[in-house]
Amino acid sequence: MAHDDRKRRFELLALPHLDAAFNLARWLTGNSADAEDVVQDAYLRAYRYFDSFHGGEFRVWLLGIVRNCFLDWIKENRSSRMLFQAEPAGETDETLWSERPRDPEALLLESIDSQTLEQLMLRLPLEYREVLLLREVEDLSYKEIAAITTTPTGTVMSRLSRARLALRKLWLGAHATEVVRGV
Amino acid sequence: MACDRIRTLLPLLADGALRQPRRFFVARHVAGCPDCAARLEELQSVGTMLRTKLPFHRAPPGLAARIGAALPRETPPPVPRRRVPVQAFAGGLVGALAGVALTLLVMPAPRDPVVQGAIDSHVRSLMAEHLMDVATSDQHTVKPWLSARLDVSPPVRDLVDLGFPLLGGRLDYVDGHKGAAVVYRHAKHIINLFAWAAAGRDTGFSETARQGFNVVSWHRDGIAYYAVSDLEADQLAAFARLVSGG
Ligand SMILES: [Zn+2]
Repeated sequence: MAHDDRKRRFELLALPHLDAAFNLARWLTGNSADAEDVVQDAYLRAYRYFDSFHGGEFRVWLLGIVRNCFLDWIKENRSSRMLFQAEPAGETDETLWSERPRDPEALLLESIDSQTLEQLMLRLPLEYREVLLLREVEDLSYKEIAAITTTPTGTVMSRLSRARLALRKLWLGAHATEVVRGV
Repeated sequence: MACDRIRTLLPLLADGALRQPRRFFVARHVAGCPDCAARLEELQSVGTMLRTKLPFHRAPPGLAARIGAALPRETPPPVPRRRVPVQAFAGGLVGALAGVALTLLVMPAPRDPVVQGAIDSHVRSLMAEHLMDVATSDQHTVKPWLSARLDVSPPVRDLVDLGFPLLGGRLDYVDGHKGAAVVYRHAKHIINLFAWAAAGRDTGFSETARQGFNVVSWHRDGIAYYAVSDLEADQLAAFARLVSGG
């Protein structure tokens, strides 16, 4: 009986975040089948350690476990080289942000379609992709992202800045190509 | 405030991480400065693009049901900690990281998930080149850094005089437990000492060898400890006694 209660309590807390968990896993693994495995693994693990959840935002706790399961998955399925790529060094913020497009931001925004954006995201290093998703899609705070990625808050902030720059650079590049092609 | 100073704060403004009164001053500057306003708009456009254009992948219909069906077979974590005899050959088996990667691919099903989790986190810390969040041999820096971020305050000692210099610390997860990883070195061997809050009585030292790593675990004053390294078993046991102060 107590076991059923535990399960029900877990499901009430955890199932509302299934889409968020799946979306993150899908963007990290790059495909649905592996994302399903990772998410299922994460939910079983979360259930097993449900007693160690001490309040706070359940989604943050769960996404941290999803990330851990992803790291285990990548270790089992790929070579160690495929682990989080090193962040590209160099590039100060100023150099890139000052490459201002001629079009206003709104027009530039209109110019990109979902498919192109998906391609651009998948070209980013995992660490960038991850921090962009957690911040912009999941709308998590620096502190929450720091907890999920077990990274200091200062690192989260600088990584997020670099990730935005990197995506913007790819985006401006894609845009320029389209303009040249006359699309 | 000057534009330079404002620009470093723009991401924080965009991310809602600025508190009053700073938020007010930054927002006021942006309202009156077209350059900074344009910069803020650029910053925000990345977020807008991701929120409006990036495909959101919803969980497939059957997944919730599959997880629900799988749950009852999972039981709460086992409490007893078994004593596993140290295998005599384990210490020197694997030194190089390349060897570790190969070992992981052929590893058998884990027995104790926490020991396995500790080894996984150890390997991950070496492979992902994310060994330390705070890299310093100063115990008076590492300890408060960890305490501020965790609900435990594990002892951090610089054992350099005893041959185990402190390298630093980071936050890590071991099989779902969020805790501290305090990093030490002995000769060329890295030691990760994982520690997290755990109920239960104090225990002695348990030694395990697996995948070429030695693990020494113990429980003291409401904290579970797992020391993991490719160090020889007796040296790791010595380290455990030193770091635990007994
Ligand atoms: Zn300005």
